Amino acid sequence: MIERRRSPEPAADPAAGGPPPDQAALFERHVVPELPLLYRAARRLTPSNAEAEDLVQDTLLRAFRSVHRFDGRHPRAWLLTIMRNANINRARKKRPDLLDDPDLTFERDQRFADGETPEATVLHDAFDAVVEDAFARLDEPFRAVVELVDLQGRSYAEAAEALDVPVGTVMSRLHRARRRIRAELTDAGVDGPHSLGRATAVERLGGE
Amino acid sequence: MIRLLRRRSLSCDEIMEVLQGYLDGEVDAKTARRVAAHLDACDGCATETDVYRRLKDSLAHVPTETVDPEIMDRLQDFSRRVIDGEMS
Repeated sequence: MIERRRSPEPAADPAAGGPPPDQAALFERHVVPELPLLYRAARRLTPSNAEAEDLVQDTLLRAFRSVHRFDGRHPRAWLLTIMRNANINRARKKRPDLLDDPDLTFERDQRFADGETPEATVLHDAFDAVVEDAFARLDEPFRAVVELVDLQGRSYAEAAEALDVPVGTVMSRLHRARRRIRAELTDAGVDGPHSLGRATAVERLGGE
Repeated sequence: MIRLLRRRSLSCDEIMEVLQGYLDGEVDAKTARRVAAHLDACDGCATETDVYRRLKDSLAHVPTETVDPEIMDRLQDFSRRVIDGEMS
């Protein structure tokens, strides 16, 4: 099959067999609900709100063009991969010499030399963005406990005193909050070994 | 301080009961040793522990500011225009 490049993805051809995928409906289902996550991820990749907004818009356009080919699994990981590629392209357009920058090349090589593949880099960013998004959507009593224990490093007893609740309540809220965030990591497909910075058994056996 | 009184080795379910406290340094030394021994021998629990450890690390650095609603409104509007074919 001849693959056409550098042109917008054509709309699905009904003559090709089967009903044409409804691009708009797929976009509504898989992409629009993830706008907050995409914006949070973009803020991690760009130095300003304006650039983050531009990057999200770029990502939305790319996602719309390819959503009919998306298999529907792990939309967040799919979208964050699109965003990362879009960001790399934007950086290259701004500074065509970017790839030749010895500092950046060194940094990139170091990261990969430490065992982090490009895929792992994407999943690292995705992991953090999913956690941030899930944290932001926690109900206030759960968020408050996570803020005290995980963000501020307080003990259960200190958190209980700050919130004027029993230690057992701190524990149950904290554990429920983390389980909820953990479930969202699974939904996003970013709780595998790559996201954790660990080599898989196959990679370990495969050597270099 | 969380303490498990049972003397036999811990089951996976028991590990999950105390895992959060273990990661937060809220279990007593003896329980911590028993959890660590189980994690050394159990890949499933070790992987789950890695996920929660990474989750805790990520939370420790999470930005707490909310996203500006105006920005979300603009992105919603942009999405609508993409769907309507105005951006192609």
